[in-house]
Amino acid sequence: MANVSLQKVNKIYGSGPGSVHAVQDLDLDIADGEFVALLGPSGCGKTSTLRMIVGLETITSGHIFFDERDMSRLEPQERNVAMAFETYALYPNFTVEENLAFPLEVRGVDSDVRRKKTEEIAEILQITDILNAFPPELSGGQQQRISLGRALIRDPSVFILDEVMSHLDAHLKFRMLFDLKRLHRELKRTMVYVTHDQVEALALADRVAVMSNAKMQQVGDRNTLYNRPANVFVADFIGEPPTNFFTACVATEDNETRLLVDDSDLVLVPDQSTAGKLRQSGHDKVTAGIRPQNLGLSETPYSLKAEIDINEYLGERSMLTVQNGAATFQSLAPPDMRAGPGEAIQLYYEPSSVMVFDFETEKLIA
Amino acid sequence: MTTDTGSTTDGVKDMWRHVRFLFLAFLVLWVVFTVFPLYFMVITAFKTAAETNLTVPTFWPQDWRPGNFAGVFAEKTNFNALLDSFIIATANTALSLFLGSLAGYAFARFPRQAGGENLAFWILSNRMFPPVAILVPMFFLFDNTPWGTDSHLSLIFLYLVFNLPLATWLMMVFFRDAPLEIEEAAYLDGWRPLRAFVKVTLPLVLPGMVSVAMLCWIFAWNEYLFANLFVGSAVKTYTIVIPTFTHGSQTLWNLQMAFSLIAMIPPVTLFILLRRYMVRGLSLGVVKG
Amino acid sequence: MARLEVQGLCKGWDFPVIDDLSFSVEEGEFFVILGASGIGKTTLLRLISGLETPDAGRVIVGGSDQTRLPPYQRRIAMTFESYALYPHLSVYENIASPLRARKVAADDRERRVREVAKLLKIDHLLDRRPGEVSGGQKQRTALGRTLVADPEVFLLDEPISHLDAKIRHELRTQFHTLEDLRKVATVYVTHDYAEALSLGDRIGVMGSGGRLEQVGSPRDLFERPVNLTVAEHLGQPTINVISARIQSENSQTFLTAESGELKFSLPDEAKAMLQGQAKDRVTIGLRPQFIRPLRETDTGLEVVTAEVDVYEPLGANGIMIAHSGGVRLIALTDPEMHYDAGEKVTLGVDISRFHYFDSESGYRLNGAN
Repeated sequence: MANVSLQKVNKIYGSGPGSVHAVQDLDLDIADGEFVALLGPSGCGKTSTLRMIVGLETITSGHIFFDERDMSRLEPQERNVAMAFETYALYPNFTVEENLAFPLEVRGVDSDVRRKKTEEIAEILQITDILNAFPPELSGGQQQRISLGRALIRDPSVFILDEVMSHLDAHLKFRMLFDLKRLHRELKRTMVYVTHDQVEALALADRVAVMSNAKMQQVGDRNTLYNRPANVFVADFIGEPPTNFFTACVATEDNETRLLVDDSDLVLVPDQSTAGKLRQSGHDKVTAGIRPQNLGLSETPYSLKAEIDINEYLGERSMLTVQNGAATFQSLAPPDMRAGPGEAIQLYYEPSSVMVFDFETEKLIA
Repeated sequence: MTTDTGSTTDGVKDMWRHVRFLFLAFLVLWVVFTVFPLYFMVITAFKTAAETNLTVPTFWPQDWRPGNFAGVFAEKTNFNALLDSFIIATANTALSLFLGSLAGYAFARFPRQAGGENLAFWILSNRMFPPVAILVPMFFLFDNTPWGTDSHLSLIFLYLVFNLPLATWLMMVFFRDAPLEIEEAAYLDGWRPLRAFVKVTLPLVLPGMVSVAMLCWIFAWNEYLFANLFVGSAVKTYTIVIPTFTHGSQTLWNLQMAFSLIAMIPPVTLFILLRRYMVRGLSLGVVKG
Repeated sequence: MARLEVQGLCKGWDFPVIDDLSFSVEEGEFFVILGASGIGKTTLLRLISGLETPDAGRVIVGGSDQTRLPPYQRRIAMTFESYALYPHLSVYENIASPLRARKVAADDRERRVREVAKLLKIDHLLDRRPGEVSGGQKQRTALGRTLVADPEVFLLDEPISHLDAKIRHELRTQFHTLEDLRKVATVYVTHDYAEALSLGDRIGVMGSGGRLEQVGSPRDLFERPVNLTVAEHLGQPTINVISARIQSENSQTFLTAESGELKFSLPDEAKAMLQGQAKDRVTIGLRPQFIRPLRETDTGLEVVTAEVDVYEPLGANGIMIAHSGGVRLIALTDPEMHYDAGEKVTLGVDISRFHYFDSESGYRLNGAN
C-alpha cells in the first residue's frame, strides 16, 4: 500500500518539430488507499500518464513518488504495481485457478501459500465456484473478474485498472461497478481507474481527475465536478445528457444582473454571488451553462420559454429538445410529459444551477 | 520494500549484461557468416580468371576487371537466357496468382463446397515431396504435349506444380483475414459477386498478393533442376547458362559470378519496387473503430 | 417506397436462432428490435437483407416476395455493427459505392454524395480514408452509404452502441431529424432500451427463443410489459422482482413476500383482478423509481424499513440497494444524498405502480396482452 504523487510530470514523444507533448506539467496526489479515476476523452494523455506510473514509459521530466520513494527511473517490476487491462489476456489452456496463481508461480511462491492466496482472492471476487473452469467457457464478466484477480493476487502497492469495463454490456457493467466498489472497500488498496466513461468514473472513484489536451483540468469528487466545474470542458464532459451552453451578454440594471442569450429571447438569471462577481469583473460576454436535469417542469420564479422540437420518451423520463431562436437546448421531464413537436413550453430552473464561464478563457466565474 | 532488494537487482542486471553481450557476439558471427559469400561473389566478379584460380584466395582483387560484366554478353544467347527466364517467371507468376486467388477465395469463403480444409491441405502437401521424385515422370509427361519439353510453355506449366499450392494456401489465409462483412456491404450496395470481389476484396488482399507474387517469381526465376533437364536448345534459362562459362576444363569463376550478379538485379529491383505495397498493406488500418 | 413484411421466418433447425418470427413495418415507420447481445438480432437483419437464406418463411417488400433474391437485387440498405467500410477507398468513394454499382451518371452521383455528406456533417472529410477518421465519423460514413442508395428498406445494426456517450447522444438526435430515414420502412436493432424507447415508433422485444416477446409502442412496453423478460430488459437499474403470496387477514388482503416478512397491502383494483384469476401466488414487478427514501411530504406511499447494502450516486440518480425482510430492493434517490452501508432507512413504495406477473409463466396478469 502506498500513496502516489506525480510532480510536474511531462511526456514528450519524439523530438523537434514532429514531437508530441502528450502529458504537460501534471500534478496529482493520490492518498494511501484512495480510489482515483483518471478520466478524459481518447488522446487526452491519460494512457501515457498511466503507463508512466506503471513504468512502461519513461518520464521526460518530473517525478513520480510512491510513499516517499522516487520511482521515476525504476523498471516496472521494481515498482510493485499491478495492472488489469481492457482485454482479459487470460491463458485459455489454464484453469481459472491456474490463471490466478500464475503470477505467484512465476515468483516461486510455495504451492501451499499459492493455494491459500488463490482461495482468498476467489472468495473476494466471488468466483470460487468456477475455479476449475477454463476461461473460454466463461462469460465476459467472469473473465474480467479473473483478470482482476490475477492482478491483485501478488499484493501490489498500487493497483491500476485500464478501461476494464468498456467491453461489457450495460447490465454487466452495472454489476461490475458495484463489485469493484466492494473490492476496493475490502482491500483498501490504492487504486487508479482509467476510463473515458464519466458515469463509471463518477460512480467508482473517491475523486476524479479530469484530463484533456495533455493537461489536468480539475480534480475533485462527484459533487464538485458536477456543480462547480472548473471550465467549459469539464462542464461539457461530465454529466449525461450533456450540459446546455449558451453564448450570452451580461446586462446589469438596478443592481440586478441577467444574461441575455444571443440570437434568442432567452434570459438567464445567475445566483447572487456569481452576479456580484460578474459586476466586479466587468464581463460583458460569457458562456452560460445549465444541465438538462436542472431545467424542469416544477415551477420556480425563473424560467425559459421555448418550443418543443423532439420529445423523446426514455421510460424513466422524457428528454425534450427545445428551441428558442437560434438556441437549441435540452431538458429532462417526467415520462408522462406528452407535449409534442411545435408546442410551446416553459422550463423552470434555480439561479444556483446556472454556471457562468469566461467567454475567452472558458474558466468558471464563481 | 526491504533493504536488500538493491543488491539482488544489481546481480540480475549483471547477468543480463552478460546475456546481452553473448547475444551481440552471436549476431556479429551470423552477419559474417551470411554476408561473406555475397562479398566473395562480388569481388570474384571483378577478378581476372587467373586470380580466381590462385591456391591462396585473395580477398581484394589485385587487378579490377569491370569488363567481365560486358564479357558475359559476348555470346548473344546469354542475354536471351535472361529474357527467357523473365518470360517464364512472369508468365508462371501471373498464372499462379490468378488460379491461386480463385482457389484460395473458394477455400476461404466456401470451405465446404470447395472440398474442405483437408483438400486445401492436400494441395499444400504437394510441396512436401522432393521435386526430384517427379523429375523423370514429368519429363515424359511434357514430352508428349504438342509443345514438347524444350519450350516456354513447358516450364510455365511445370512450375505451377510448385507455385500454385503455395499461392492457393497463402491466398486462402489472406482471404480468410479479409472481413466478410466488407464484401457483404458491397453486395448490399448493389455490386454483383464478381464485381464485389474485384472492387473490394481484391484490394484488401493486394499486399498479401504482392508477397505471393514475389515468392512465386523468385522460385521460377531461380529454378535449375527442371530447367536443366527440360530446356536447353530452343529455350535457355539463365540458371542453366551459368555453368557453361568454362574455358576447356577451366571454370571461369569471374564470368559466372558476374553473370550471377546481373541475374540478381531483377529480383532485387522487384523487391525494392514492391516493398512499398507490402508495407502499405499493414497501414491500411482496421475496419472497426 | 414500400412496406416490409416478415412472415414466419425461421433459421436454424435444432437450435433455432430465429423461430417463426413475423412482423411488418409500414412505409415511414421506425421499428426497433430490442434484445440482449447474441440473441439473433443481427441474423434477423441478415435474413431480411438476403445475406443469409431463411430455412422457412418469407420476406416481402412492397408486396413482392424477395425471399429468394440475392442481396444485390434487393432495394435494401444495411449498416453493419462493425461499419464495414472499405478501408482502401476514401470516404467519398465509400458513400458513392451504391451509386457506382447502379451506374448513376457522374454529375448526379457527385451531387448526391455531397448532399448526403453535408447532411451528416462529414463533407470536410470526403478525401480521407476510413482509417483516418473517428468512430463517430465512421458511423456517419456508413450511414451516408446507406442513405445515398435511396432504398426501400433501411436496416440499421447497433449503429451507435459502440460510440462515446456524447456522440451517441448527438447521433440519436440525428436519427430523429433525418427526413430520409423517416420516409421508408426502417428496422433498427439495438440492445440499449433507452435508444429503443427514444427512437422507435414501435418496438419488438426479442427473447432468447428467436421470437418477439412483445411488439408495441414505447409506452406500451415500458408501462405494460407483457412478461418478466420484457420488464427486466427495459429499465436501468433493473426492475425489482418480488415473489409474493396473496393472504387475507381480518378481511384485508396483503401481498407477503415469499422469502420473508415484507408485506404490502393490495390496492383494490389489483385485488379484483387477482381474485378474478383465482391465484394465491403472484410475482410483483416494481421499477426502482417508485421506491425512494420517504420524505415528510409524501402521501399515499406504503412505508417499508430497510437496511442499506450499497449506495452509489450514478449520473442523474443515486442508486440504493437495500434489503428488507429478506427481500433485496433497488431504490432511486436524489444524487446529492449519501447513505452508508448498514444504515437503516425508511422507504416509500408506490404500490399503485406494481406490475403483476403469473408466478409460473411470468406473463402479465393485469390486463390483456
